Amino acid sequence: MQYPRRLPRFEYLEPKSLTEACKLLLQNDGKARVVAGGTDLIPKMKRRDVNPRALISLHGIPGLETISHSQVDGLRLGPLTTLGAVESSTIVTERFNVLYQAVQSMASSQVRGLGTVAGNLCNAAPSADTAPALMVLGTRLKLISPQRERTVAAESFFAGPSATVLEPGEILAEIQIPEVPRRSAGVYIKHTLRRAMDLAIVGVAVAITLQDDTCHNVRIALGAVAPTPIRVPGAEAILKGKGRSGDLFRRAAKEAATACQPIDDVRGSADYRREMVEVLTRRALEQAWDRCPGSTEGKR
Amino acid sequence: MKEYSVVGKRLPRIDSPAKAMGQAKYAADLVLPRMLHGKVLRSPHPHARILNIDTSQAEGLPGVKAVVTGKDTKGVKFGGWRAFTQLIDQYPLCMDKVRYIGDEVAAVAAVDEDTAEEALDLIRVDYEPLQAILDPEAAMKEGAPRIHEEVERNICWSRFIEFGNVEEGFARSDYVREDNFSLQTQAYAPTEPRACLASFDHAGRLTIWTSTQCPYPVQCQLAAALGLREGDVRVVQPFLGGGFGAKFELFPYEVCCSLLAQKTGRPVKMMYTRQEEFSASRTRHAMKIWLKTGFKKDGTLMARQARAVLDGGAYTSFGPTVTFTAGFFHTLLYRLPNYKYEGYRVFTNKPPSSGMRGIGAVQPFFAGETQMDMVARDLGIDPIELRLKNARQPNEVIPKLTTVNSCGLSECLTKVGESTRWHERQSKLPPGRGIGIACAGQQSGGAFNWFRTRLAFSNARVRANDDGTVVLFAGAADIGQGSSTVLCQILAEELGVRFEDVSIVAADTGTTPVDIGTWGSRVTFQAGNAVRAAAIELKKQLFAVVAPKLNADPVDLDIKDRKIFAKGRPEPSMPFPEAVTAAQAANKGKILEVAGSYHPEGKGIVSPAYSFVAVVAEVEVDRETGQVKVDRLTVAHDCGQPINPMSVEGQVEGSVHMGLGYALTEQVVSEKGEMLNPSFLDYRIPTALDMPEVKIIEVITDEPEGPFGAKEAGEGCVAPVAPAIANAIYDAIGVRVKDLPITPEKVLKALREAQPNS
Repeated sequence: MQYPRRLPRFEYLEPKSLTEACKLLLQNDGKARVVAGGTDLIPKMKRRDVNPRALISLHGIPGLETISHSQVDGLRLGPLTTLGAVESSTIVTERFNVLYQAVQSMASSQVRGLGTVAGNLCNAAPSADTAPALMVLGTRLKLISPQRERTVAAESFFAGPSATVLEPGEILAEIQIPEVPRRSAGVYIKHTLRRAMDLAIVGVAVAITLQDDTCHNVRIALGAVAPTPIRVPGAEAILKGKGRSGDLFRRAAKEAATACQPIDDVRGSADYRREMVEVLTRRALEQAWDRCPGSTEGKR
Repeated sequence: MKEYSVVGKRLPRIDSPAKAMGQAKYAADLVLPRMLHGKVLRSPHPHARILNIDTSQAEGLPGVKAVVTGKDTKGVKFGGWRAFTQLIDQYPLCMDKVRYIGDEVAAVAAVDEDTAEEALDLIRVDYEPLQAILDPEAAMKEGAPRIHEEVERNICWSRFIEFGNVEEGFARSDYVREDNFSLQTQAYAPTEPRACLASFDHAGRLTIWTSTQCPYPVQCQLAAALGLREGDVRVVQPFLGGGFGAKFELFPYEVCCSLLAQKTGRPVKMMYTRQEEFSASRTRHAMKIWLKTGFKKDGTLMARQARAVLDGGAYTSFGPTVTFTAGFFHTLLYRLPNYKYEGYRVFTNKPPSSGMRGIGAVQPFFAGETQMDMVARDLGIDPIELRLKNARQPNEVIPKLTTVNSCGLSECLTKVGESTRWHERQSKLPPGRGIGIACAGQQSGGAFNWFRTRLAFSNARVRANDDGTVVLFAGAADIGQGSSTVLCQILAEELGVRFEDVSIVAADTGTTPVDIGTWGSRVTFQAGNAVRAAAIELKKQLFAVVAPKLNADPVDLDIKDRKIFAKGRPEPSMPFPEAVTAAQAANKGKILEVAGSYHPEGKGIVSPAYSFVAVVAEVEVDRETGQVKVDRLTVAHDCGQPINPMSVEGQVEGSVHMGLGYALTEQVVSEKGEMLNPSFLDYRIPTALDMPEVKIIEVITDEPEGPFGAKEAGEGCVAPVAPAIANAIYDAIGVRVKDLPITPEKVLKALREAQPNS
């Protein structure tokens, strides 16, 4: 294990535009890292997990810490939008509550004041809390590079532990969350040993949209139980078009537990994690369903 | 109950404003002109022979002022066990062998921290790795490789206690049970990582400001390690951010820092990183305990037998005491006619274990108090009634060990039961909810002279000024437990002045009289007695001068609220400042300053007095995830007469917090001798959100040996928390977890074993 030590020497660059940032990234030929809040990157550098020659800070570029919302575009977050800003945004709390739940479960308020949502995604930890929440919200990520601009679905962004599909010179420029259909609700359950300042042993996010008394759409995403945060389409398929049923919730939960690939580590064993995926997916489904406006439970 | 003026009052601690406003200076904050920064190179191997150390490259790095290895030291071992010198076993820098990952190999002083750290990378050490021995039971087997060449079977210390006849006791029991318990390694994790600043003067005298609980023992040990006279070493304790036993002894880095200061002729500061504080300091002993207990059908305790194997880590530290107390504490709570104990502390290639808050108490009380609950259920006796039936009473002798004077254990049990409506609720709560009880006791300072000091354990000096101010000089070290405040209260009370008249100079071997240090919950009790003795002597001197002026006999005089008068006759009186002036004049202007001391002479081999505590835990258990939520802890605590009830509450809450972490989340996880979780992220100390409601019930007793009847309050409440929670979990879901911490995974496993088909 590498112990944190003094920061190694590096060059600090502060471009004035995203295009310039992309160019600098490309010029440094894989030896530079983009830094936003730095709450993951700086400790990694102190542990010598990564050794960038240069850090490209986005803080010299104006207008990157936005939270904007419209009926047409939904919610848009900039690359410097902090976890703390998302946590205290009324629109997030009211309409994208699952993201609020994920963000407020993270670290401490001090760290949330520095760390960004984009950084949480680009750090690509299997346990990243915002990832499952954004996945179940149907989020797309805008990636830009000097050559092109593209968007990818949140679930297609991760390539492995600490790895993403970002190509050389490419930067996550915007997080695009579509407007949430009216009769929807989302739940994020983070399973930890402590009630704060902890990483997920298992993270489960669920978003459900009801039509009449049946499930019109459902998304289930899991954190900390595979090399990347994952969607579990097999489990979702069990519920689509069906009414509220404890038995179906149990089947979907079992399917989610089968689909995940957890490992043993200092936080929990693989067996325990798999078991918790089953328990918590079932609970998240029950809770999300019942929070949907107009659900049988919601009506009560 | 006696009426006091200052004692028993809820006074804010004297150091709180400075701490709250960030003005308190800790060792790491200190700066001296021309100061260098030091760093220590640590072993990456759990067990290896050092073949060669090449420091030439590091010495060549610009900014590096000195590099030292074992060859630069006196090559003598240091340690606190002057009563058993074979236990002194640590070198300032390893000479031939490293014994754990983190063992000190070399040290560097440079112009700044970065350069010092860079220099560490340039030191080349050739190691020959040796087989690492990580399991104490394997380490004690014949033929196991030795960690210290001279120590057979790696047994650092063994301790046997026996009274009565256990065989007979078991034979006469109607019910006997045996259980095995396993206790994890706990980290001390003080808020302040340790730091020190060493500086030599031109006469070759050393001053070291250091994060220590024990300035005087550190002074003596450091002098020995450096080949200096004790009087040429001055140890000053700045503000200290938590000790819990971790900063009890001299550490190698303090010797290295002093050596580097000596070699460079410049002050040198060294600061531990958080990771060093976790992995290169000390830990609470992991322990395996086998416990056998016999009872009569009516619940009378007949006999107890225990065997403990302690994971000692690489060096002795304060382990022998833990080995003893881990056996002693099985005898404290209940009247026990027959007892037998064998304890073995075994070396392993891990960080050394030592005495941690609830020293050698937390482990046996988890075993004993969990087993008590099992016994109660098996015999069909209420757990509180079973305890009350056997509870220790005041003025009882524990054969060959100690005498218990004051004892409020029965009252603690009764009150905690009433407060929690125990009888209505135990075994009757809804599924998943449970309530459990456990007790503990703790020593008020040690009586055994392990340091073989020729001086009294506590000394104090008191100076009265003619403006009415009083200065207390005490060697006792406030480590955040509030002792300086409490000592000022004791002085003000005895001297009849106001609290605000008293100031204190503490924990500086250059200016304050010797105190054996802050350990074993001894300061309020022992230093308090020394302060009180000094105050009594000062009054005697004052009264002798004042008596003729008040037309009274000195023995009839009293002082209250700064006025001296004859008992039962408030006037005439003389104000305290005037009395001091008179006393000075009577002695040709000599300063009015007196000394007092306390030594636990003839108080057995354990302690002069004991605190007692009973805790009820209320929990909710999630049967599907195994998660345990502690809703409330009710603590009934007999600490004698509380000197400062607010401070006592703070200590109880802190103890309970530490006990909660021990019960549920805290554990040093290591692999091949390497700690895998040396950070506050993965070493899980409960956060504010994890803390349950804590209700504290004072049970006041009058301890004849304690100052104003006081006993310890900082330590005893750690131990009962884990067994109370474990017993509450049993009440909630009917399963026992006998190895700590009680993680969700273990709860689920236990549930599964209890109901194999679910």
